[in-house]
This record gives sequence, C-alpha cells and structure tokens, in this order.
Amino acid sequence: MSTPASRHVDPTRRQQAVAAWVLAVPFMALFLVFTAGPVLASLGMSFTDIRSADMRTPFAVSFVGLENYTRLLGDPLFQKVVVNTGLYVVLGVPLTMVLALAVAVGLNRITVLRGIFRVGYYLPVVTSIVAVSVVWKFLLREEGGLVNTVLAWVGIDGPAWLDSTTLALPSLVVMAAWRNLGTLMVIFLAGLQTIPEEVREAAEVDGAGAWQRFRHITLPMLRPTLLFGAVITGIGYLQFFEEAFVMTSGGPLDATRSVTFFTYDQFSFGNYGLAAAASYLLFLAVVALTVVQFKLFGEKD
Amino acid sequence: MRRSTSTAVRALALLAAASLALTGCGREADAGGDGPGQGEAISDDPATGTIDVWAMGTEGEMLGDFAKAFQEENPDAEVKVTAVPWEAAHDKLANAIAAGETPDVSLIGTTWMGEFAEAGGLEPTPEGLVEEDDFFEGAWNSTVVGDTSYGVPWYVETRVLYYRKDLAEKAGWSEAPQSWEELKQFATDLQKKAGVEYGINLQPGQTGSWQSMLPFAWSNGATVTNEDGTEYTIDSPEMTEALDYYKSFIDEGISGPTRILDPGELESGFAKSTFGAFISGPWHTGLVEDAGVSQDEYALAPLPGKDSAPGTSFVGGGDLAVFADSDNKESAWKLVKWLAEPEVQQDFYDAVGDLPAVKESWESGKLADDPQLQVFGEQLENTMSPPAVPTWEQVAAEIDSDIEKAVKGAMPVDEAVSHMQSRAESIGTGL
Repeated sequence: MSTPASRHVDPTRRQQAVAAWVLAVPFMALFLVFTAGPVLASLGMSFTDIRSADMRTPFAVSFVGLENYTRLLGDPLFQKVVVNTGLYVVLGVPLTMVLALAVAVGLNRITVLRGIFRVGYYLPVVTSIVAVSVVWKFLLREEGGLVNTVLAWVGIDGPAWLDSTTLALPSLVVMAAWRNLGTLMVIFLAGLQTIPEEVREAAEVDGAGAWQRFRHITLPMLRPTLLFGAVITGIGYLQFFEEAFVMTSGGPLDATRSVTFFTYDQFSFGNYGLAAAASYLLFLAVVALTVVQFKLFGEKD
Repeated sequence: MRRSTSTAVRALALLAAASLALTGCGREADAGGDGPGQGEAISDDPATGTIDVWAMGTEGEMLGDFAKAFQEENPDAEVKVTAVPWEAAHDKLANAIAAGETPDVSLIGTTWMGEFAEAGGLEPTPEGLVEEDDFFEGAWNSTVVGDTSYGVPWYVETRVLYYRKDLAEKAGWSEAPQSWEELKQFATDLQKKAGVEYGINLQPGQTGSWQSMLPFAWSNGATVTNEDGTEYTIDSPEMTEALDYYKSFIDEGISGPTRILDPGELESGFAKSTFGAFISGPWHTGLVEDAGVSQDEYALAPLPGKDSAPGTSFVGGGDLAVFADSDNKESAWKLVKWLAEPEVQQDFYDAVGDLPAVKESWESGKLADDPQLQVFGEQLENTMSPPAVPTWEQVAAEIDSDIEKAVKGAMPVDEAVSHMQSRAESIGTGL
C-alpha cells in the first residue's frame, strides 16, 4: 500500500477516479443542498434571534451567542418538558424491551400459530400512529372507555386516565410500549435464532435450569441485539410527539408535553432561533443517551 | 485518522466563518415610532390584468364563481382563485411572503395580521379605499397593526350564548340571562330544575380557551394591551375578577368536564341534554341542528355583561389584504373594495353564509329579518378583537395555559393573571 507517490499516474486509475466522481457528484450535490445545508443553517439559526417576521431578510438578524440555549434551560416550561421526555424514556424503554423480549422468547419456543402471533404483535407497528392514538383515546375514556368498563366488571372505578396529571404520561407510555414492541420482537427473534442450540443443550446437561440458561446464556449472547434495540427505542422515545398531540394536546397542565412538542410550538409561534436551539438540545440528548447505552450494554473488553 | 481530523477542523473553521459572517449582518436599528402611513389612493378606473387570490375553506371554493360579477364590471380583469385549506394556510402564506412569491390578494385570518404585516408582506390600505366607520369596530381593529391598517375586513364571526330554550322554560327562564349573576343562576337552574348534567360548557383551558375567557374579562372592562398595542395590560383587578368568575363555574360543577371534549361531543351533548348552554360562533347553528336539536328547542342570546350592560364578545373572521410583492396592486385593491360593498357583502352572505363585516349589509334582506342572525348582529356592536401583534399566537398559548392552571387549582387566580402578564411581557409584542 505504501507505494511512493509518483509523478506518473496510471491512466486507468485516473479514468476510474473521474468515473467515481461523476457517479458520486449527484448524491453529493443532493446531500449538500438538502441535508448538510439545512443542518448547518439551522445550527447557525440557533445562535441568532431569527423570527418568522425576518424570513424576507434572513441575514439581517442579530447574533446572540448562546442566549437561546440559556433561555431554554431557564424556562420552567422547557424544564418541565425535559422531565416529561426523560420520564417517557426511562419508563418506556425498559418496559418495551422487557415486553418485547418476553414475547420473542415465547414465540421462539412455540411452533403452532407462530405466524399469526408474529403478525398480531407486529400489526400495531405498521398502523398509523394517529389512528392508533385516536383509538386509544377512546379506550381510555373515563366514561364508556373499554379500559374502565373492564375495570368496572371487577368493581374498580377507573380514573380519567388522560385527564390526570399523574396518569396521563404513564398511559401514553403503555400505549407506546404496546405499539413499539413489535419492532423489537422481530429484532430479538432474529437475535435468539443466532444462539446455537448446542450451547443451550450443553448448559442443560450441566444442570442449568430454565432461568439460569436465560440469565447466563441467552441474555449475554443477545447483548449486541439488546443494545441495538435500546438505542433505536431510546432515540424514538426521546422524540415522542404524535401520541400527545392527538390524545392530550400536551395536557393536562402540560403533563404530556414533550421536548419535540415544545419545539413544534416554538416553530409555529415563529421563534425559529429558539426552536432550532431546542432541536439541538434534543439532538445532544439523543447522542448522550446513545453513549450511555453503549456503555451499559456494549461489549465489555 | 489524520484525514478525519483535518476534515473536522475544516468543518469547524467553516462553522466559525459562518458565525462570523452572521455577526457581521445584524439587525438594522429599529426606526421606531409610527408605522408607515396608509398607501396612496387608487384611481376609479376599471381593474385590469390577472388578480391572483388565495382563499381558504368555503370562501375558497365559492369565490371563483362569485367573482364573475366583478369580471363583468371589469372586463379587462381576470380573477384567479386558489383554494387553500385552512390548516395549511398560515404556513403557506408565511412561506409565500418569505419567498416573495405571493398572490395579489389573500384572505387572512384576523389573528395573523400582526405577524404578516410585521414581516413586511402586506401593503398598507390605500387612503380613502373604504370608510373605517362602515365596519364593525372590532373587525376594523383587526386590520390595524401599530397605527397602520393593512387590509379590509371581509367577514366576521362572533360568539354568543347558545341555550336549550325548552329546558330553560322548564327551569323557569323565559328570557336569556342579562348579567353575570343571572348567567350563573340560569346555568344552575338548568341543572337543578331541568335536569341537565352541566348547566353550561366553558372550556377549562388548553388551546383556544382564551376565546371563551377573554370575553368575560372584556365585559368587565379588562384589556389585553393598551390603546396603541405597545404594552400588555393583562394584570388588572378586572381580569382577576373575570377569571375568578369563570373558574367558579368549573369549581361548582356547573360547567362541563375538565377534559377536552371530543369532536362532536358538544353538539351531541347539547341534543342529549348533557349541556344546557355553551358559547360559540355562527357555525354552530348548523351543527346543533345536524345533531338533532330543532329550531324551537334552542335559542341564541348576546353574551350577558357583568351588570345590566351588554357583554363584550370576541370577534374573529377574515380580512382581505394585498401583498407587498403583488405586481397588480391597484386592481387587487379594486377587487377588495368591491368585496366590501354592502350589496356584495349581502350577496356573499346568501352564497356562502359568512356574516358581513359591513354594518349597512345588516339593515335589509335576510340578515335584518332572521331573529337568530339578528342576535349576531346585535353582539357585533359589542366586540373586541385580540391585539394585532405578531406574537399574539404565542401570548394566547400562555394565556390558555394559565387559564388551565387557575381553573384546575394548580395556581391561585391572581397569580395566574400576573403570570400571564409577566409571560406576555417577556414574549413582547414583536412590533
């Protein structure tokens, strides 16, 4: 590989280089114009006081440094939406992963009706989130909702799930877990199938019980799959929006308002600079969460 | 490894350069003081050329045919109407103004006027195009940003009291309530004597609840901004008293549930005697009749004031504005002027059902005869519009949120009102 640089360039290689550039240019142009450009522009915006009224003269705005970021961090509503989003992730990711793993392990064992179950668990994933939210909103209604009707059969007077500042967010978490476990189930099923049967049999011969086999064989061998699952679910949950938008409008008393919801509001108020700053804070949170997950679940050398 | 480091360094350098370039720009010092004056008067000659018009909802669907009469009067002009859905309209207009690719005229929601005028997208109304006094005061004020008018009111809507007449009679009320005290008694009686579940439905916070709450505050003499729209004046004893009164309906169980109603729930609840009364705009006459409430079973009344004086309601609707980037401004204004003529406004009511913004249109025809419509006409004499400041939507969201906090007891009423004030001040008017 360490051929000394020579003045003479092989014509074939030069042609290849030209061809490579010709092939790469359309992608690169699109990438620069539609991805890198807007990303850099929005990063720049987050350091200015740009508002919707400035759109005709986007460069005639003031550079305000980190003011948008400090304002956000000092805003009680932003602090609240950060806590909400954090709770959503902290409650939602483990719940979804445990449920998905349980379903995957179960489905990995049974042979009858496997296809039907798989489709059943996966169906919510391919259903429109807005439709799912509308249906769940009806299920969770205080009067006449399916959940409270069933609770009434066993003598429990069900609460107004979505109208309570303590129950609304957990209700959304449960719905998200139900909806998203299908994706993780498929991924975990694939992971389970890579575990060689011999290892498990060997453990069985050595006298390991079902729980021990799961704990010491299945879980460690699934580690990379679990990591992947935790990362994609965490990223998805950090950006939750539609459920709250459709089911609670962020209420009651902002109990279900998320960082994305806050950002959406700021954009529609025309506070583009502040909204861009909020997006970048969320981006930093995504990066931080992913790093933490890699530390927790990643391969330990 | 070396290569990637140098790429990162280069990217950082680029970013720094971009930031420096941005600092170099900066805002021009605000001239401050008065806004621009009104535009120059337009001629009386017929309109010419193509006039591109954007209109939303039913107006967008109907205006094309309706404007044929204008084209007959102005044979050299052609009106091209593009229907835009309401949901997409705000962003589409904002983008059009940013890109300088606007139509000549557009219907503009009254609460957006401040934002678009401030962005430099709208043309000041020409001197002498229409007479300010011909319009309902609240409607005209929705076109005024700073000191300058940027359009002409096209149609209006205002909120009145809807109530079940049959149940009210059962509860011993042959007339609508005339004061706050009576309204409370009225709603209580509907519950106790006529057996409705909730005497009235007042929105307990969340999006748009300011439209229900502020009329009570306005009726009590409270204001949102000072006369020039330069400073917020939300924090006042009158505002606190109004919010306290509003909250008492929810506290005493007279007003509906504290959750957001599902679409259609209000109308069906009105038909099923779940709700005895509510406050809403003209579109609800059709909706409650569709839900099975016959014309004999319900009635409308202007909002009661605090004492015997008439109550002040919210006025919304649509304004017509001509864009700064229009290349046919003169003809565009002629179309706007034509649409604001009293007879044309009456015809437009017949075709579309929009309430005319011009007072004279209410003095004859169906608008003068129909008792339901007359209630709206009467209410329109006492209306306020929200301040036409560019940041209004954001301030309104803060007010909504504080109404919810007060109503649900998460914050004392006086604190909620002073919180509205401090939030509004920190947002500013954007002018």
